[in-house]
Amino acid sequence: MDGVVQLQRQLLDYTTQLFQEGFLNDQFTQLQQLQDETNPDFVVEVVSLFFEDSERLLNELANTLDQQSIDFRKVDSHVHQLKGSSSSIGAQRVQNVCIAFRNFCDAQNTEGCLKCLQQVKNEYALVKNKLETLFQLEQQILAAGGSIPM
Amino acid sequence: MGSHLRRVFNRISGFVSPWRRNQAPHGRRIFHREVQQEEFQYPSNSCLSSYYSVFVARLAIMVMLAILIGLLTILTWHFTRIYTTKSINSLAYGLRYELLQRPILRMWNILNSTVEITTAQVKLSEYVIKRYSKPTTQAQQVELYEVMRDVTWALFASRKALNAITINYRNGFVQAFHRDHRSNNTFYIFSDLVNYSISGSYNSNTLSSHQGWNDQSIHSNISAIWYHVPLDPVSGERIGKPKAIPPDDQINIAGLSQVPDGVASWHVAVSKYTDSPLLSAALPVWDPSNQSIVAVVGVTTALYSVGQLMKELVEVHSGHIYLTSQEGYLLATSTNAPLLTNSSTGPKLMLAIDSEDRVIRLGAEWLQRTYGYKFPPSHVVHVENAKLGHEHYYIDSFFLNLKRLPMVGVIIIPRKYIMGKVEERALKTLIILISASLCILVIGCVCILILTNGVSKEMKLRAELISHLDARRRAEASSNYKSQFLANMSHELRTPMAAVIGLLDILICDDCLTNEQYATVTQIRKCSTALLRLLNNILDISKVESGKLVLEDAEFDLGRELEGLVDMFSVQCINHNVETVLDLSDDMPKLVRGDSARVVQIFANLISNSIKFTTSGHIILRGWCENSNAYGNSGKFPLNQKASRSALKAKFKQHRNHAKRACKKNNKMTLWFEVDDTGCGIDPSKWESVFESFEQADPSTTRTHGGTGLGLCIVRTLVNKMGGEIKVVKKNSPGTIMQLYLLLNTPIEGAGQHCQLEFGEHSLVVLLALSGSMGRLIMSQWLRKNGVFTWEASEWNELTQILGQLFRARSSVPNGGLVMQCLPSEPLKTEAPNIQDTRASVFVIIVDIGLLDWSTDIWREQLNFLDKYHGKARFAWILNHDTSNFIKMELRRKGHLLMVNKPLYKSKVVHILEAVIKGRDLEMQGRILNGLKSTRIEGNLHESLEIDSTHFEEVPSSDDSDRSEMGSHKSINAYHIAEKQKDRIRKPCPSQYQTANSCLVEFTQVYSTENNLRTEDPHQIRPNSHDAGNEGHKLMCNKSTSPLTEAECENCRGQEQHLISTCPKEHGNSYSGKTVNGQKSLEGLRILLAEDTPVLQRVATIMLEKMGATVIAVGDGLQAVDALKCMPGAEESRGKCLLQDGRTRCQTQIHDSLPYDLILMDCQMPKMDGYEATKTIRKSEEGTSLHIPIVALTAHAMSSDEAKCLEVGMDAYLTKPIDYRLMVSTILSLTKRMA
Repeated sequence: MDGVVQLQRQLLDYTTQLFQEGFLNDQFTQLQQLQDETNPDFVVEVVSLFFEDSERLLNELANTLDQQSIDFRKVDSHVHQLKGSSSSIGAQRVQNVCIAFRNFCDAQNTEGCLKCLQQVKNEYALVKNKLETLFQLEQQILAAGGSIPM
Repeated sequence: MGSHLRRVFNRISGFVSPWRRNQAPHGRRIFHREVQQEEFQYPSNSCLSSYYSVFVARLAIMVMLAILIGLLTILTWHFTRIYTTKSINSLAYGLRYELLQRPILRMWNILNSTVEITTAQVKLSEYVIKRYSKPTTQAQQVELYEVMRDVTWALFASRKALNAITINYRNGFVQAFHRDHRSNNTFYIFSDLVNYSISGSYNSNTLSSHQGWNDQSIHSNISAIWYHVPLDPVSGERIGKPKAIPPDDQINIAGLSQVPDGVASWHVAVSKYTDSPLLSAALPVWDPSNQSIVAVVGVTTALYSVGQLMKELVEVHSGHIYLTSQEGYLLATSTNAPLLTNSSTGPKLMLAIDSEDRVIRLGAEWLQRTYGYKFPPSHVVHVENAKLGHEHYYIDSFFLNLKRLPMVGVIIIPRKYIMGKVEERALKTLIILISASLCILVIGCVCILILTNGVSKEMKLRAELISHLDARRRAEASSNYKSQFLANMSHELRTPMAAVIGLLDILICDDCLTNEQYATVTQIRKCSTALLRLLNNILDISKVESGKLVLEDAEFDLGRELEGLVDMFSVQCINHNVETVLDLSDDMPKLVRGDSARVVQIFANLISNSIKFTTSGHIILRGWCENSNAYGNSGKFPLNQKASRSALKAKFKQHRNHAKRACKKNNKMTLWFEVDDTGCGIDPSKWESVFESFEQADPSTTRTHGGTGLGLCIVRTLVNKMGGEIKVVKKNSPGTIMQLYLLLNTPIEGAGQHCQLEFGEHSLVVLLALSGSMGRLIMSQWLRKNGVFTWEASEWNELTQILGQLFRARSSVPNGGLVMQCLPSEPLKTEAPNIQDTRASVFVIIVDIGLLDWSTDIWREQLNFLDKYHGKARFAWILNHDTSNFIKMELRRKGHLLMVNKPLYKSKVVHILEAVIKGRDLEMQGRILNGLKSTRIEGNLHESLEIDSTHFEEVPSSDDSDRSEMGSHKSINAYHIAEKQKDRIRKPCPSQYQTANSCLVEFTQVYSTENNLRTEDPHQIRPNSHDAGNEGHKLMCNKSTSPLTEAECENCRGQEQHLISTCPKEHGNSYSGKTVNGQKSLEGLRILLAEDTPVLQRVATIMLEKMGATVIAVGDGLQAVDALKCMPGAEESRGKCLLQDGRTRCQTQIHDSLPYDLILMDCQMPKMDGYEATKTIRKSEEGTSLHIPIVALTAHAMSSDEAKCLEVGMDAYLTKPIDYRLMVSTILSLTKRMA
């Protein structure tokens, strides 16, 4: 049982750390609150949806920015979507970079866009890692028979 | 325009006037063009200028030719003439000189001879006188005279040319011989001696007395008598009597007066008796002392012979010669004209200018006129071209300078004689040359004309070609504009049609319509749909023509698309007694990339075309895949393909190779399809033309079958756009085979993904009791290939027979009810399942419901008969589209849960078999497991089937009318589901309402699309058992939704009211639920969520659902609008309905006229964004009292966005990320207001 308690504490610490480092915000909490017995895997589901969607968007962004003549409207709409989905799960840092990205996009600044794309990718990779770790912890807790602390 | 015209004409008339011939057509042409079209002005102008240049060139060439030929002519003529003339002239000069020289020589001779004779006479006289000097006596004197006479005669006789010789003695005695040339007489003339004194004459012999011996003495002897004696000209004998004549009567006797200084003298004299001048020479005879003259000798020569000679000379050339003295007196001429004039004083010499001969006179006059008296020093004149009278003559004169008698000879020769021929020749040559050159000129001009005509014709043609090209370009451009216009009009045309249809739907729903009105409105609806379809076809064509058609590239399940299509068309075929069969080979890729809507359109057009012309038989849609390995493996191909394929091998080898190459490059696949029907067929000559627009194989078919002839054209265009080809191929049996291939991309991961069916291990035995022979054949072959044993039966009796044989044989085997034994004698079996371990064999009997006899109640007995086998085999029923619900109920009641609609194709069979296998597994475990488990399984089943239904919803269709047709294929799955759910209904379920509702959802799909709904008798539904009552009720409920899509029978409307009355009750219930649970603040609300980001969609859905709302999520604005527009049926299963969770059903069923209480609309979405969608929705609401609240969801946090949202008609505004509480309060405020 000690193991479980320890894991629970670890999870809490980790979550707090994520919030403090700005990776996540209140939206994620709201998301967690939405999860109940009818939707036991809601957060994981949404987050994995986010991963899929984001990866698709990032790919398309990379493709679009790779073109000779960049369709900034397309880029903008992709970034917009990414911003929407990241804000929905509370991935704050991704969201912030997206805002900067859109500004560059409005200015049609190719270099800035490429830089931002790189940043977004980094942020996305970071938040993905963090969230995966988080879910692993949760899984471990569940496997150990404990409950997820809120 | 007018001024243009005038200018053109001015130019023409100014320039082309010499070429009137050309002018006329030009003018006409230009005029035509002017009249026709202004734009042709320019080409015609350029034309004209080119014509001008042609004319100028023509003219220049002609002039040059003329000059050249003229030069040549002149040169030729000149050289021939000049050189000839020169040489002839020199010759002529020689001739003339010679001619003149000869008479002059003769003259000279005459003179000489006269001189010689005179001299000789003088010498002789001197000699004689010396001998008889100083005659003293008369006798001596007489003797002297006699001697003198003899000597003189001798001389005279020797010279015939002499006219006369005279001797005049000093004493006045005269002796003379005279020859008259005219009469040829010779006379001797002497004077009478008596009168002369010898002394007297010899005394005065001094020089001083010379005076005394003068003519006067003679003349003083005038009284002397001269005698004239004719002589014999030869002998000189006197032949007549002397006659006395007066002195000097006949001849001149030269006297002393003529030798005044004692030297010889010459002069030209005339005589009375001769008509020619005479040349007289006189010489004195001196006495021996040489101191005095004793006598004078005179010799006269006629110049007659000179004239004769001259005559002879000029005779040949008809010229004239004359000799004149220096003074101009004529001496001799070549003519017979007299040389003397008879004046009163006797004959005189005449001047040449007085000559009677015209030519001589003219010549002399000419000479005098030209030179006057100032002859050139030598008197030599050579004139070549003197004009005398009307003729040209050569005139040459020579001067003969004799002492005392200078003479001038003139020769006049007509030029004609010498140069006549030459000049004639020259003239002839000139004429010939000129005429020849004229001929050449004319011919050359004609040639030039012809040549340049060719050139100008070519230019004309070219100009016309240019203008034609121009016109064609314009025509093409205008046709292109037309196409573009049509393409642009597509939206404008479709929108009002959609509105018309929508309004008609609403009207049909209205229950105050009378029967007639209702029928009329239904007819209008049908017509509008047909019109819309036609419009769509035309617009498709124009879209393709204007190049605006862009093919999508999205992944889709080809098999399912085609199955849906076949489902759809089988409904149409059912009335035709035509069987629709889908026969896709197993190696077809499951997923392909391409434009699914267009692919479906291709086959829809082809199949509908086939249906139109097929009255009985079958329509088979075959499909197979061609890649390198499938090619070699013929076993994989579906039935009937081998033959046609081998025939095709050669034909399409190139395509294939090409396709293969393409395949390897970008994972493209060549998919072959053919649509094979048993219709009337197409004449081979029309195989190509049927694909043209507005073309039908037989124009007369338009009357019987209708249609615009656009379908196949669209098909071909689409097929070509997809890199394929379509053609009609030969078919042995009646009918048509349309064969086509498409090049479609396959997703890399899905390329080899074929549904591998492993039925073999389940040892299934399938009895196919199907009425359609083709479908049955194909199906059984396919099943056998997949390791499933099959029997076939085509009618009821056969079925019972097979069943009897099968199960009798089986029951005879004791061990286990499920063991089956092979019966070799079975006539229907081709592949007897000759296996011992068939214990686990599962019998599946697929029965076409059409096999039952529906005329009376026999079918009940037949069902009962089949019931006997119920435990031993699983039944799957193939239902017709018009199978009544009552029958379905009956079947269901009897435990036949597997029902599918016609037609039967592979995936349906796969479903049936899977269900059977699962059912068997279930059965095996069923005794142990509880009901919950079973529901789970059924739930799974349900799920799998539902995926089906969602899939069909995704079939993109070009318009609404199509969509409603396409919807029909959902029905089969719906039935599936329905069966399953029937169980669920029976089962005690905590949320019965929801389950029932879901059931209802499925049934809606069924009814919404059935045209045959009318055949359904609602009374059959109503008196259902209590258990089914609930369901029946829901069904009625459903029906209220269907009228919007399809024609509804009137009795349905009755239920509608009933339905409405029941609605509030349920509503009330939901509200009561809401009050109980504060958390569920949105309980009972139906919310349409339009959101394209999956994450957001999911989050929002969960948020709303947690609060009790029912959420239908769609992916874009277009879907949202569609969902609102065709609320019934279609929308529930629409894509993102999120039906995974069995419990949380989309309970979107409609209680009132609005399907949703609220719409949450994301602003930025693909296809149609939120603003557009809102506008469309608001537009459609115009004129109605409806107003659905729309809440904008946007990540744009700026106030301008909010303003924009409100401007397009949204009611509220939420920013992302969604704030939970704010959203709830917004929604509640809006819905409450509405309530």
